[in-house]
Amino acid sequence: MAVERVVVADRTAFLRRPDHRVVRALALLGLVLLWELVTRTGWVSPLFLPSPSGVLAEGLDMARSGQLLVHLLKSLQRLAWGFGVGALAGVGVGVAVGFFAMAEAVVQPIIAATFPIPKIALLPLLILWLGIGEASKVAVVALGVFFPMAINTYAGVRQADPLLIRAAVSFGAGRWSVIRKVVVPSALPMVFAGLKLGAGTALLLLVAAEQIAADAGIGFLILQSGNLMETTQLMVGIVVLSLLGVASYWALGALERVVIRWRHT
Amino acid sequence: MSVTRRRVVALLVLVLAAAPVLAGSAEAQAPAGPVKVGVLKLTSSAPIFVGVEKGFFKEFGVEPELVYFQAAAPIATALAAGQLDVGATGLTAALYNIVLGGEKLWIVADKGREWPGYPLVAIVVQKELWDGGLRSIKDLKGRRIGVTQLGSTFHYHIGNILQKEGLALSDVRIVPLQAMAATVEALKGKQVDAILVPQPFPGAVEAQGFGRIMAWAGDLYPWQIAAVFYSDKLARDRTRAVAFMKGYVKASRYYHDAALVQKDGRPAHGPAYEELVEITAKYTGARPEIIKLGFPFQDRNGRLLVPDIERQMAWWVANGFMKRPLPLRSVVDTSFVEEAVKGLER
Repeated sequence: MAVERVVVADRTAFLRRPDHRVVRALALLGLVLLWELVTRTGWVSPLFLPSPSGVLAEGLDMARSGQLLVHLLKSLQRLAWGFGVGALAGVGVGVAVGFFAMAEAVVQPIIAATFPIPKIALLPLLILWLGIGEASKVAVVALGVFFPMAINTYAGVRQADPLLIRAAVSFGAGRWSVIRKVVVPSALPMVFAGLKLGAGTALLLLVAAEQIAADAGIGFLILQSGNLMETTQLMVGIVVLSLLGVASYWALGALERVVIRWRHT
Repeated sequence: MSVTRRRVVALLVLVLAAAPVLAGSAEAQAPAGPVKVGVLKLTSSAPIFVGVEKGFFKEFGVEPELVYFQAAAPIATALAAGQLDVGATGLTAALYNIVLGGEKLWIVADKGREWPGYPLVAIVVQKELWDGGLRSIKDLKGRRIGVTQLGSTFHYHIGNILQKEGLALSDVRIVPLQAMAATVEALKGKQVDAILVPQPFPGAVEAQGFGRIMAWAGDLYPWQIAAVFYSDKLARDRTRAVAFMKGYVKASRYYHDAALVQKDGRPAHGPAYEELVEITAKYTGARPEIIKLGFPFQDRNGRLLVPDIERQMAWWVANGFMKRPLPLRSVVDTSFVEEAVKGLER
């Protein structure tokens, strides 16, 4: 029996979203080239917009003198403490509130009342309580990370499939076993979404905190360069911030793939 | 109005607008819009306020327009960006770095000096530390000192005072707090041990009791703290630039004779003193009794301490806040003030 082949046009072709990897790279490259061109031709004074090549040279200079490393390490140290403390507290509170009705009754109204406060507004208060040293800077970052973590973890825990929980219980799992083996794993995707949100907030608050009474850090570098009208140095600080943001997003994504293996295979 | 008449009027306007250009070097009287002057609302801006209020600038055909700022460094930026014609404020590292960055602006006249016997900026220490025996600059070793910004006049001043006493900038911890009010608050909250702030803040701190004035910075290290700057555009417009300067020198003489004359180390105020206080109070929004705490010193003819500009740049370079020093003639131009003084007599 002869098979008649009919060619049918895929009418959902417009829904396909190819990767366009080359275009992505070209877009970024094009922007940098345009920027270089604008500054090279003298349309914009280098004082107001330093050229990318100038920024790169200055960045290398600062890296060689060790100056950039001092600022970067100081910022990373504050980020690590603030992010660590905030994320741990956020996950802990989120799981407790999601799982125990009593904890939910106590904590949820408090979170609802304190979450909308822009954390930057708390900075002066934190400085009064904790002084102008490291503690207030770490605390504001931790606060900024805590809320998205707690809220996302809570939502993740609440979303755990009741059927799975019942199944686990009927197989004889205890309360802790259910939390550890069913609730937390099913909340993990939401926890990672919270981590990524928190990373952005943490950078924002870090820069704000470092602009008050600091003597090192990327935020300090940016403010000081602005005060001194060293715009090239200022741009180096901004580029480093952008790289930090990209790096943290990438690292969290990699961690997510390792931790939530079942979701990506 | 008919079309032809409208055309004639348009042509007339065009010709009138072009007239100064056609006439070559127009007379000083030819106005070309207001001269925008960037100032801070501080007592030290008094000579500019006097020039505006008493009509000294108008006398030479210049229409001044005051633009108020919150800090010194942004004035230099606005000047380089072409948003101002004249700046009258403190000499900061930012200003020198702007010129180093390829923009042009000119330091043209005196606008205030730190001078012995004329209280301007004070070193204020915590009351408890003062009572505990912290009374000299040498005692500041290892202490936290609050200033507004790194690269500010206060930063420069404390650095030079420390060096004069045999200490280095690295012997203390300089804490930048961004605003003057925040600096005072940090002293109050004991987050810094000492601060540098200009009048009227030191007086207010002593009145509230949480700090003591250790010394007036000008008594320890006199220098050219503030200047008048011209944008490159105004500097090229020679006639207007000199006309503005004539008004400024006249205001400067009025200011000097009213407030700065001393006899046997005591102030001997001129007849215009009360009027000067009144004008300054009006423009700064401060109470007259606070204004009377003191007017900063400046040259009667607005002449600049030129060698000090070179000293300042050398210090910023030595301490890493400037990449390299500028040749003096690329940033200082005293020809305007000299021409104005010659043209005014007396």
